[in-house]
Amino acid sequence: MKDITLRVSRYDPAVDAEPHLEEYTVQVNEGARVLHALHAVHDNHDPTLAYRYCCGSGQCGSCAVRVNGTPALACMEEARDGMTVEPLDLPVLKDLMVDMGPVIAKIARICPAPDAGLPAKEEIEAIKPLRDCIECLSCVSVCPALQVTEFAGPTVLRQEMRLTLDPRDSGDRITDAIEKGLFYCTTCRRCLEVCPKEINIPGKAIEKLREIANRRGLTLPRHQEVAKLVQDTGRSVAWTQPTFLEQVPEVIEPDGPVRGEVGFFVGCMFNGRVPQTALDAMEVMKRNGIRVIIPHDQVCCGSPLIRTGQTSIIDDLRRKNIEAFASRGIDTVMTICAGCGATLKNDYETPFAVKDVTEVLMDYGIELPSKLDIRATYHDPCHLLRGQGISEEPRIFLREAVREFVEMPSQCCGAGGGVRSGVPEEAKALGAKRDAAVKETGADVVVTICPFCEFHIAECTDVPVKNLVTILLEGYRKKDAERDSA
Amino acid sequence: MVLYNALTNKMLVDEIVDAHVLVIGSGGAGVRAAIEASRYGSVVLASKTIAGKGGCTTMAEGGFNAVLRDLDSIEVHREDTLSGGAYLNDPALVDVLVREAPERLRDLVRWGAVFDVTDDHEVAQRPFGGQRFPRTCYAGDRTGHEMIMTLLDRLDATDTQIYNEATVVDLAKDENGAVAGAIALDREGRGILFRSDATVLATGGGTQCYDISTNSAAGTGDGFAMAYRAGAELIDMEMVQFHPTGAVYPYDARGRLVTEAVRGEGGLLINAQHERFMKRYDPERMELSTRDLVARAIATEVLEGRGTKHGGVYLDVTHLPAERIETRLPVMLEQFLAFGVDIRKEPMEVAPTAHHIMGGLRITPECRTTIPGLFACGEVTGGVHGANRLGGNALADTQVFGKRAGEFAGKSPERRGRVDEDWIKAELRMLDDFFEGAISPAAVKKDLKLTMWNQAGIFRNSPDLATALTSVRRLADRRLFAASTANIPECCTVRNMCTTASLIVRCALLRPENRGAHVKNDIDVVTWEPGKSPYGHTYVSLEREGIEEREVAA
Repeated sequence: MKDITLRVSRYDPAVDAEPHLEEYTVQVNEGARVLHALHAVHDNHDPTLAYRYCCGSGQCGSCAVRVNGTPALACMEEARDGMTVEPLDLPVLKDLMVDMGPVIAKIARICPAPDAGLPAKEEIEAIKPLRDCIECLSCVSVCPALQVTEFAGPTVLRQEMRLTLDPRDSGDRITDAIEKGLFYCTTCRRCLEVCPKEINIPGKAIEKLREIANRRGLTLPRHQEVAKLVQDTGRSVAWTQPTFLEQVPEVIEPDGPVRGEVGFFVGCMFNGRVPQTALDAMEVMKRNGIRVIIPHDQVCCGSPLIRTGQTSIIDDLRRKNIEAFASRGIDTVMTICAGCGATLKNDYETPFAVKDVTEVLMDYGIELPSKLDIRATYHDPCHLLRGQGISEEPRIFLREAVREFVEMPSQCCGAGGGVRSGVPEEAKALGAKRDAAVKETGADVVVTICPFCEFHIAECTDVPVKNLVTILLEGYRKKDAERDSA
Repeated sequence: MVLYNALTNKMLVDEIVDAHVLVIGSGGAGVRAAIEASRYGSVVLASKTIAGKGGCTTMAEGGFNAVLRDLDSIEVHREDTLSGGAYLNDPALVDVLVREAPERLRDLVRWGAVFDVTDDHEVAQRPFGGQRFPRTCYAGDRTGHEMIMTLLDRLDATDTQIYNEATVVDLAKDENGAVAGAIALDREGRGILFRSDATVLATGGGTQCYDISTNSAAGTGDGFAMAYRAGAELIDMEMVQFHPTGAVYPYDARGRLVTEAVRGEGGLLINAQHERFMKRYDPERMELSTRDLVARAIATEVLEGRGTKHGGVYLDVTHLPAERIETRLPVMLEQFLAFGVDIRKEPMEVAPTAHHIMGGLRITPECRTTIPGLFACGEVTGGVHGANRLGGNALADTQVFGKRAGEFAGKSPERRGRVDEDWIKAELRMLDDFFEGAISPAAVKKDLKLTMWNQAGIFRNSPDLATALTSVRRLADRRLFAASTANIPECCTVRNMCTTASLIVRCALLRPENRGAHVKNDIDVVTWEPGKSPYGHTYVSLEREGIEEREVAA
């Protein structure tokens, strides 16, 4: 047995104006779960503590709570000293008990056709990954789209896809899915991150439903324009100034000795909309002895099309891009766009390694810049944090590059998944939330690594938004200026 | 009608709900019963949890036994079930089970259940213990969850009214002694009176009254206790199945079910001396022997010093391809990974855990109990599984008898009697008394669970059982304290656990033989050849208790 102290959110709407945290010290066994700590509070401190539980083995989905802010099943998550246990971010009935009924009621029921027979093995295998849901509602509680739209919730859309895949079902699930907010999902993958069953709802449900919607001609008009642009120009973004590729040679040699070599996958945003950031990155590479090879025959990675279900020309894009780099014998392809990086890593099978710029810089090590005299915060791009599992590297560089680094709670900015173009009011509302979070930190600059986030957040806040590579370059310039004046 | 209406802080009924059929319980049996009953009239389903999240069906992993192939036969399934049950089963109920299981499985498939399918486009089946044919249909190792999701889909297509998180406290009777509904408490402890023409009890099992149990938190024996208080007769309550393989550590995860499918897929049981010990207990069937036998084998290995340091034995699947473990046993893989064990690379440690109560309400094949107006189905009933249940027969039981209970309750005539107001007053007074109690239900529960595990567990003896009965009765007499109205359901639950425990112990004292799951180390205890025992069911009710004797052909 051991003692642990935990803080538990208590709230009785009959008497409390708002929830408050109560601290308890309880005895638990070695290896106890959060649920057992709650039992200890209930049994030995306050029997009126309201919390749900049932199976105790991660299968019924009754006991999801937030542990230190993150959803988890109380029966599976290990109890730790100092933890804070709060209800999911859903309407609270009492203490840790939330109102699950209204969400569960939105989850569609199968309508089997009268003559429905046994599905084939392949059909069953396709449904299974979407069938493990235990309706704990963790995904619903964290979904950013839900905060600003009528989106029914990730698991509700999961069920629409599960039913679409079932030959026995007779419902029109695509129409239902669109009504339930199919185009509201930013594909930020926060739902996947908190799902105790690791169900890939964005990839296996949302994007697939959008694909079927596309085949039925139900893709949003703005998304269709993007697809047309890619088809006509090979690029998903129209350029307003000389493109990055027009401004650079195919090989950029470093200033000093060559310490390494990477291919650079530019991406449409850097190429056409914000080329200066990519040019800044080239300066950083040069300074750190990394040769950059830039095949000019590369095209759009296809991300804006995959996220919006417009996959008919994807194979062609994939082939062109892989060939552009493979034919030049490149081992490592670097991306600076989080969306391109996640797509190349997750939606491609490449004969070369794909690395985010921060991974490349971390691998080779870099010259330290002078610290900029600013307080900076960092916005995690969804496609970097969850799409590529990268959170530490950018922070390590940032701590070296600025006077003060402050954290900001991570949440999708609203630019992804075709939402910025397709549902601009949602993107704007999520952007406004980012603005508020930025202001909360008191930062002088918001740093990020994704050009979509950078561009979108810059529109939603008056605080300057910069790419990490630009910050590094500014630090080098400051260092040079200091040296010159010394 | 005037209800108990007294001073502040006194219980009163806030809501009266009328229906043709009241179903109590939202597991596989209850939901199946409600679906069927709704064909005959209005149905209300009272669920202690959020429907779909409670009960043990949701947690059931391994599968559903049904004869589907030409090479298999109803007769063999029948014989396997009887022989596995040490011929204590009620043959008429077994007949119904094995005959109707295939059609009930097909219902589920028609309604959208995602069972695993073979390359030949048939429902896949795996071998389970004590059966001569691999007839256990499955959806990975989340078969029960798949079933309950499908059943709730189907229920949604009916007009059934669901009362979630409504804890039924007691069955209500009319002046003729027929069950006429029930009284329940909602989440806040507010009273609800359900009035019905027929009532289906589908409250599941109750091995939560043991310290080490696979049951969900809802498996507290409420139905056994409520029916007993209402005057129904129960049989074979001593027959508690200890599942051979429950987790052994960490401490708070003890008892968590490790599905029989692990052995069905080829898992091996090995003791701390690296010996595949089942060869000494059942050399033919080895790991796939019946559950009672495997559980006692493991317990014996541990008792005799050949167990692991955590007090279990090894269950090993590391010789199976990782891909097979990932697809056939994903829940096991996930659960053990959460506790730091990768079952693809290292063995699990397991020991027996209280799993299923074979005994329960005496029913007819039409699911009629011994009191009018009350039907029962699923684990709350007795007689189907005899002295030991075969893995995969419980899910089949829920569907076969759930459907029957719903059907015959649905066909019941309109109730003529009235719910006795004095009874309601007395009931509410009883609930009020919890505010005046002295001891926390949590303390009584802890004590009860240890008593049952230590003195009425896998190996029993008469002196221990007698001590257990005294202890359980003493605990049942403690005056439980409710800290708020919302705590009253918890008091009622602990009261039910005490009653269930006392029924188990009383029946265990009544049976003078070793049979199936019931084994005593007493010197004078007799073990008969299976099928040759002169004893039938033990029975217990408010009015009588005893053991049936029967003629056995020489």
